[in-house]
Amino acid sequence: MAIFKRSVNGVAATALLGLGLAFSAPSQALPISECLAPADPGGGWDFTCRSVGKLLYELDLVENPVQVTNMPGGVGAVAYADVANSRADDSDLIVATSTVGVTQIAQGRYPSGADTMRWLAMLGTDVGVILVDDDSQYETLEQLLDAVVEEPSSVVMAGSSGVGGWDHIRALMLAKAAGLPSDQFGGMRWVQFDGGGPAVTQMMGGHVDVVSTDLGEIAGFIESGDVRVLAVLSEAPLSPPFDELPTAASQGYDVVGYNWRGFYTGGEVSDADYATMVDTLKALYDSSEWKTVAKNSGLEPLWRGGEEFSAFVRESIEQVEEISREIGVIQ
Amino acid sequence: MDILSSLAHGFTVAIEPQHLFLVLIGCIIGTLIGALPGLGPVNGVALMIPLTFNFGLAPTAALILLVSIYYGCMYGGRISSILLNIPGDEPAMMTTLDGYPMALKGRGGEALGISAVASFVGATIATVGLTLFAPLLVGFAIRFGPAEYFALFLLAFATIGGVTSGSFTKSFIAACIGLLLGTVGIDPVSSVPRYTFGWYEIYSGIDFIVALVGLFAISECLFFLEDTRHGSKPRIQVGSAIPGMKSSLRCGPTIGRGSLIGFISGVLPGAGASLGSFLAYVLEKRWLGRKGDFGKGDPRGVAAPEAGNNAAAGGALIPMLSLGIPGSGTTAVLLAVLLTMNITPGPLLFEQQPDIVWGLVAALFIGNIMLLILNIPLVGLFARVLQAPPWFLMPMVVLVAFVGIYSLSNSAFDLYMMLAFGVLGYIMRKLEFPTVPVVLGLLLGGQMEFNLRRAMAISGGDWSILWSSGISIGIYAFAGILMIAGLVYGLLVNQRGKLR
Amino acid sequence: MIGADTPPPREHAAVGDRIVGILLAVIAAGAWWHSHTFVTGFMHTVGPGAFPRLVSIPLGLLSVYLIVRPGFNQRWPEHSALLRQFGLLVVLGAYAALLEPWGFLPATLLATTMLVRLFGANWKQAMGSSALLTVALYLLFEFALGIPLPDIPGMSD
Repeated sequence: MAIFKRSVNGVAATALLGLGLAFSAPSQALPISECLAPADPGGGWDFTCRSVGKLLYELDLVENPVQVTNMPGGVGAVAYADVANSRADDSDLIVATSTVGVTQIAQGRYPSGADTMRWLAMLGTDVGVILVDDDSQYETLEQLLDAVVEEPSSVVMAGSSGVGGWDHIRALMLAKAAGLPSDQFGGMRWVQFDGGGPAVTQMMGGHVDVVSTDLGEIAGFIESGDVRVLAVLSEAPLSPPFDELPTAASQGYDVVGYNWRGFYTGGEVSDADYATMVDTLKALYDSSEWKTVAKNSGLEPLWRGGEEFSAFVRESIEQVEEISREIGVIQ
Repeated sequence: MDILSSLAHGFTVAIEPQHLFLVLIGCIIGTLIGALPGLGPVNGVALMIPLTFNFGLAPTAALILLVSIYYGCMYGGRISSILLNIPGDEPAMMTTLDGYPMALKGRGGEALGISAVASFVGATIATVGLTLFAPLLVGFAIRFGPAEYFALFLLAFATIGGVTSGSFTKSFIAACIGLLLGTVGIDPVSSVPRYTFGWYEIYSGIDFIVALVGLFAISECLFFLEDTRHGSKPRIQVGSAIPGMKSSLRCGPTIGRGSLIGFISGVLPGAGASLGSFLAYVLEKRWLGRKGDFGKGDPRGVAAPEAGNNAAAGGALIPMLSLGIPGSGTTAVLLAVLLTMNITPGPLLFEQQPDIVWGLVAALFIGNIMLLILNIPLVGLFARVLQAPPWFLMPMVVLVAFVGIYSLSNSAFDLYMMLAFGVLGYIMRKLEFPTVPVVLGLLLGGQMEFNLRRAMAISGGDWSILWSSGISIGIYAFAGILMIAGLVYGLLVNQRGKLR
Repeated sequence: MIGADTPPPREHAAVGDRIVGILLAVIAAGAWWHSHTFVTGFMHTVGPGAFPRLVSIPLGLLSVYLIVRPGFNQRWPEHSALLRQFGLLVVLGAYAALLEPWGFLPATLLATTMLVRLFGANWKQAMGSSALLTVALYLLFEFALGIPLPDIPGMSD
């Protein structure tokens, strides 16, 4: 009976603390209490929110557990519109984003540009991988890309982004490096799945030939030996346990494709609140716990915060815009 | 043998007092959430996540609690379906078709009893399936590519005419309305807004829970207000659940078939419990043809979808645990919880975390038995609630639905949308259009479309990919047989009627 | 449908079906036409407009069939019933509009009182039961389920 009573009180207390803050009208500076993941549970953005939210609480950087809200749709466009329209001044809200989201902005697929939001910080970066099934006919990146150059439609590629999204662009950059003329990019087949995991399982089922996605999401399949990694798109070999994986550069294709993870908040958050949020995230980044979590999930810890990060985002947008135009994703 | 010893180990984990207590709490909370219109398993599980973190529950304990809530919701959803004609959550939608007519005939208790047994058997069969065949079924599930999924969804819509006893034309029209409503919002593939007309509130699409509650709960109230002055709604006598448990023996084959169909749809990621209960009902109705009394209170019309949706709930855990891909909204939330606890579901989970997997499986067995036993007192409780005068009962249902929907999105817009769906549902029912296909279209249309588009992306625009594999041909053939059998049988019955 | 054992009054070849058929045919045509505005630039084998068009074809055809061969309709309610139904929509619409500005407790108390009246109870029953319902719902959602409801303005914090 005592247990029961305690848990009922606990229910009430949790209810009030855990959720109450997440929904109460915030106009004054509040500690970060909600992380919006602009995707379904299970993907990269969701993981960013959940691991960062959990750590913020465990490190006592916030008083109460961070509520994670999922708002999938339009590769982050739905959440972007929602924050811009109704939560622009919520100083307790952080929204997960990454290179994928910035790519969408660069291609004009979000309802508004980067200036609508305040960019907080990046905490780490994931790296692109090119995978085939463990019994695929392609043993090396060279074999694969030769086949693509010879007949672009002979290889069905898949990833978690849509046509022209970051996963697709990275695959196109490789094809370009292998000598495929850009007017033939349209002949390559690209299939979008709900995430890297589903794309890999569809590849294991023989429905697609190659997957281009981020390492972190599908690390389990690499460790279990179900898939073969043809290339990682990093500048240098990764740290263990992935140090054996060959980079694209080491095979003669000078292509690098990182996918950083970070956060933005609404555009009307005050300078003071913005600075507080950046400081909170910096404290998280500096902890050894974050380094461990990042490593475990295939992320390299990497910090850019505040105005430096905002400038970096603008610069990346220009770069992606240029690549997209070059390969014909946008006119 | 290996499996049996693993399972035995699982039971030693599950019968720790703390875990048993969590199973009990989970089952009760789950049944309650499931029975409230508007709140379903997804919300039930999502709402309890902060709780598990705050108590600092270990991963195994947290997972046991959340999965008990999941199973409890699947049990609870049918209660308001049967007694009020308002589904507690979307997989319980099919149960209204025969459950409510049974209740009107004074056989509500029996319907609850049958559905409890059907739920129990369905969930148990699924849990046994999970225990024995998880690795095998994963191999089967990954053979389903986009083309095969498209075939599966097409099967669902090809058989939609069998949902209600009403006109085929109207059923298909209702399905088309649902499918079209399902395209509203930002297209996830191309980021193009469709049919949003600049309304930012519907950029994320029309929430099917809002549609479900509007179509059923609000329209039910509008119907009630039609004749409240002269001879109000028949007072429902619930009775005891015990005779239902006995008469469910006669539904044995139905329950078996429903469980199998539900389990298979659960295992396939993206199909889920709603498709499971839908196919179980339609196939059962086709199986028995006109011999049954479907739509007018046939006990088998309650047994089939309940066995189906509970089996699907169990089946959906297989791709979640062994591939790390969610088969439904609820398993997606469970997956997120696992990830937060630094457990990566995937091919290695069964080997690396036997405590979690087998403890969970054992907890499912125990939870099932608890839910069956809990049902007897719960039926009495709900029966007493229904003895309240209608002027109290109906406002209560509307309010719970209203507050439930509001609590999900914190937006008044969803409430207006729900009212609009209520009016739509009322007009449709007045004109004898079934409303179930609208929700199904809304629910399944998105996945149907994306799998079509994926298949076409793979083939580079060659439509023949849709019928190029044995699995998809088999599904189309099955759909064809069902449609033809239904038509032929209908013709035969009509002719015999004319001869007489 | 209400009253499975006493079938409601129905009309065959009803005009309601014809009106709905026309309406749906227009919607199908509109959906078809509007889907051509869903433009994407690059490499989509099947674009965002294809599936809506694919659905609007059977919808249009079936609506035309419904106009030609309408089925059964139930009879529409009388004026007093229509008025009560309209009342329900007004009360619930107002409730939705007032929930946030007034806060949960006062808005719900008012809406429930009106609802219970609408469903045929007298004022005394309405007051009593609405107070009971409001408090019970508040406790259920706010405490048992842990879902925060809108506070009365000025009374939070």
